[in-house]
Amino acid sequence: MDIRENLAQIGEEMRKEMESADALAALEALRVKVLGKKGSLTALLRGMGQLSPEERPKMGQMINEAREKMTAMLDEKQKELAQKEKEFRLIAETIDVTEPRDLPEIGAEHPMNLVLNEVLDCFTSMGFSVVEGPEVELDLYNFELLNVPKNHPARDAQDTFYIDDNVVLRSQTSPVQARTMLTQKPPIRIVCPGRVFRADEVDATHSPVFHQIEGLVIDKDVTMADLKGTLDAFAKRLYGQDIEVRFRPSFFPFTEPSAEVDLTCFNCHGKGCRVCKGTGWIEVLGCGMVNPKVLEMCGIDSTVYSGFAFGIGVERITMLRYGIKDMRLLYEGDLRFLKQFR
Amino acid sequence: MKVSMKWLKQYADIPVSPAEYESRMVMTGTGVEGTEPIAPELEGVVVGKVLTCRDHENSDHLHVCTVDVGEAEPLQIVCGAPNVKEGILVPVAKIGAKLPGGVTIKKGKMRGVESSGMLCSGPEIGVPVELYPSVGTAGLLIFREDYPVGTDVKPIFGLDDTVIDFEILANRPDCLSVWGVARETAVAMGTELKLPEITVKEVGGDIHDYAKVDVLESELCPRYAAKVIKNVRIGESPYWLRQYLYAAGMRSINNIVDITNFIMLETGHPMHAFDLSKVRGNHIIVRKAEQDEKLTTLDGKEYSLNGTELMICDEQGPTGLAGIMGGEESEITEGTQAVLFECAAFDRASIRVTARSLGIRTEASGHFERGVSPATVMDALNRACQMVNELDAGDVVSGVIDCYPNPVKPVTLTVSCARMARRAGVDIAPEEMEEILNKLLFTVSRNGDEMVVTAPAFRQDVEQEADICEEVLRYAGYERIPITHLRGETPMGGLNSTGRRESILRGQLTGMGFYESMTFSFISPKTIAALDLKDSDPRNEPLMIRNPLGEDTSCMRTTLLPGLFKTLATNIKNGNESGKLYELGTIYDAKNRTADGLPTETHELALGMYGGQADFYALRGVVEALCKQAGIRTTVASCDAAYLHPGRRAALIADGECLAVVGEVHPDTAEKFDLSGRVYVATVNLPRFFAKTQPMGEVKAIARFPAVTRDLALVMRETQQVGPLMEALRTGCGKMLEDIRMFDVFRGVQIGLGNKSVAFSLTFRASDHTLTEEEITRLTEKALKISKEQFNAVLRA
Repeated sequence: MDIRENLAQIGEEMRKEMESADALAALEALRVKVLGKKGSLTALLRGMGQLSPEERPKMGQMINEAREKMTAMLDEKQKELAQKEKEFRLIAETIDVTEPRDLPEIGAEHPMNLVLNEVLDCFTSMGFSVVEGPEVELDLYNFELLNVPKNHPARDAQDTFYIDDNVVLRSQTSPVQARTMLTQKPPIRIVCPGRVFRADEVDATHSPVFHQIEGLVIDKDVTMADLKGTLDAFAKRLYGQDIEVRFRPSFFPFTEPSAEVDLTCFNCHGKGCRVCKGTGWIEVLGCGMVNPKVLEMCGIDSTVYSGFAFGIGVERITMLRYGIKDMRLLYEGDLRFLKQFR
Repeated sequence: MKVSMKWLKQYADIPVSPAEYESRMVMTGTGVEGTEPIAPELEGVVVGKVLTCRDHENSDHLHVCTVDVGEAEPLQIVCGAPNVKEGILVPVAKIGAKLPGGVTIKKGKMRGVESSGMLCSGPEIGVPVELYPSVGTAGLLIFREDYPVGTDVKPIFGLDDTVIDFEILANRPDCLSVWGVARETAVAMGTELKLPEITVKEVGGDIHDYAKVDVLESELCPRYAAKVIKNVRIGESPYWLRQYLYAAGMRSINNIVDITNFIMLETGHPMHAFDLSKVRGNHIIVRKAEQDEKLTTLDGKEYSLNGTELMICDEQGPTGLAGIMGGEESEITEGTQAVLFECAAFDRASIRVTARSLGIRTEASGHFERGVSPATVMDALNRACQMVNELDAGDVVSGVIDCYPNPVKPVTLTVSCARMARRAGVDIAPEEMEEILNKLLFTVSRNGDEMVVTAPAFRQDVEQEADICEEVLRYAGYERIPITHLRGETPMGGLNSTGRRESILRGQLTGMGFYESMTFSFISPKTIAALDLKDSDPRNEPLMIRNPLGEDTSCMRTTLLPGLFKTLATNIKNGNESGKLYELGTIYDAKNRTADGLPTETHELALGMYGGQADFYALRGVVEALCKQAGIRTTVASCDAAYLHPGRRAALIADGECLAVVGEVHPDTAEKFDLSGRVYVATVNLPRFFAKTQPMGEVKAIARFPAVTRDLALVMRETQQVGPLMEALRTGCGKMLEDIRMFDVFRGVQIGLGNKSVAFSLTFRASDHTLTEEEITRLTEKALKISKEQFNAVLRA
């Protein structure tokens, strides 16, 4: 047979086989069969030795051209098949994306810490430092330096746990104020979060252990309007821009004037609802201008400096924030409760 | 404090709705707990006259009456009361009337006879005997006065009144009285204050001929004033007085006692009335009790005294506990002829201590504890005498005994208007300040910015300019305080370093699936004992609370474990299948004291895990991961914590110090804390943890030369711990051993009983060249040598 014919035949056969090839493996076998070391085209090339020297380059060129053509065709086909196989594979790999699986569990901080974090973020961004003090505290700091001498009726409001005559479980976070004022020169701008203790039996709204956040600012020319501004910023940051603060006259031995602070009810936005007992306001904290007697007892010149203090009940704002009706849930640690927080 | 609205309105007009009044009082500092009609449920009951009364034909006790209630036709009403008879005036509940307890009167038949209403007893319409003396439940209330038939009964009994419950602030004991709230009301309402003019009609004589008073403790009794009433005519009080007392929640006794209670409610001055004939020697002596002296008080209880109590005595012994309760002996009775009225001021701390130690709390002691002004004693006493005149309860003997050796000087302060305005942050003009203070009955003289202010005698709370500032601001209006922002230099705020580190720890634990719990800081000492800590362990000696709520909460926790166990037990009991919990909180060390002498407070982290994937290694891994993230290299060693499973407990050690203890809870401990199933706990000593925490340094260059891994399966005794072996390899193979990992443990007869084959993967790398085959062989052989020589662990055949 003439090489030319052979070439045509090889080409024809390959085309046929290539067309019927439906897998990459078959195509690869075909490539080997034709173009491989022992392939038919390679054999043809080898057979060129029998040709005359004049014919050789011509034939050689012809075979090489055919080879290139075939290679290109095979490559083309390979791409096509590879694409098809990929599509098959993707279809075959389809999974039911709606099947359920167990989730990796992400825990949560205690709700009171979630709220506390928000509150501390708010005050630290206003330049307040976070300071802590002892929970087992001297009567001196818990009461005396805060203008509550022994046998003062204000002590009745806070049924205090005693360790001995001079040591109490602090009934408020205010002793940290006294400690700070005694050791630090104004300007002072602190918040003191922490545990406090009062001899109340446990029920839905009382706990012998609870948490407060005390705030204290001492500087020159601090006014009650600054206090309102600070608490207004806090309220808006925590509960939204439409929240207003309302000050009502009150009494605390360590502040004068003193105020009870109400916020627009964040449930009904002031319209009146169950949460705010129809008043549109929710009592959230107590505050006032630091009593000059307290400043003097703590070694700060009250003719030069003034300041304000406030105390926020963490349980209260946590319960309000999440609609928790029973304080006991906060201390029971039931995961069905804790897992609701994020 | 509950006050009758009628009484209050007598002294200050309230021309607004109750809601508006409440709001104005609240916004000026007088809290209002609520207002309530005194008889919200009584409606449709009128005065009726029984015209005829005959026996019911089918009953041996019922009567059929015709009753005139001022309507065109009399009503026919069947009545079963024994005291019903013709001609009496009685309360009649007409058809549709509402009675206390939600009863509505309907037309009905009683044993066949139609009845159009009900004749009522006192209790049936909510009128107790002390409000209107009647036979109570034994029969109908029969009016003793002549009222037109058809008149609504509510005004007759004073049941058309409203009671306001005020919440008085601790610094305003003067407001614990009708006059006090009337004063505030008049200013808040802008109405006139109409306090009564006090005049006393005396019958002559000289009080000094009747009685003598000696105050031996003028510190504890700064003022003691007395008046004598002779020819006392004991009787019942008029209705209006009984009504006022009733609204305040007090019972009417007799005219003299009612007067003293009335004065206390009206003026805030508790008073006492003695039967002068029972005061031996007619001589009142105010002194401290003698040791073991006895007194029987008005309520019949006997008290033994310890010598600190202030007593009211006569020449032979105590007749009353000063400011708290009178004695039984000198009580006012039907037969009392002469009365000594006492109106005094006592030291509040002394009254408080005595009332507490004897466990007696009375209206009087409440007033004295909060502070009664000595300066206004005479007003109250004279007002009481005026009431005696008005009620014709006796004859007031001329003269007064007034032991008041050191009259209280009025408080006068010089204040600056500008400074007060600055403190308040409100632009209040000096004129306005002056006006407000005048309304509050302060005496003011102003010269430009400077004001000289004298507080009224009833105000004991005013001590300094800040107090005057508050008075001004209360009535200028707290709503006028503007919103301004702090102007001073802004300090750098933020958490302290412990706070920051704890916040990071919490975040990591959250990421690892742990939920935070919080438990009380006090626990039962029994729960500490249940941990079986070593005798020398300081956690065995907690700080005890002197007045705990109960044994369960009687000491401060020295470890978070009891609280954690309780939380875990709650979850297991509640059927929560698995749990990962932690608490980060304060523990209290009573043995190590601070410079102040207070116990040392430190923070601990306690973790607990049960169910699901929980096992020893999982929990140890959590703690190790926390350590790794803090840059702390730890090793694991066995430990001897008795509350943990002896074969499953370990300490995490860093530089020879124990940072954490982790393990499975010992079954005995689990039983004591009601824990069922396997529970794993860990405690981390946070001060040590933070002390060892390494700040992140410079990053290391990423290795440029390839690593080589060799796997070694080493056969060793079962009892050989893997940790120490790995630690020895790490140190022994030098820094070319980049990593060593254990990936399998095999047990089987092939390797002999009591042995285990542990497979390690060792990764070698040099930072400056590609390791040669010889180097790798040398390193591997070194590892095998260490294993063989130190741990008797040999390459598995």
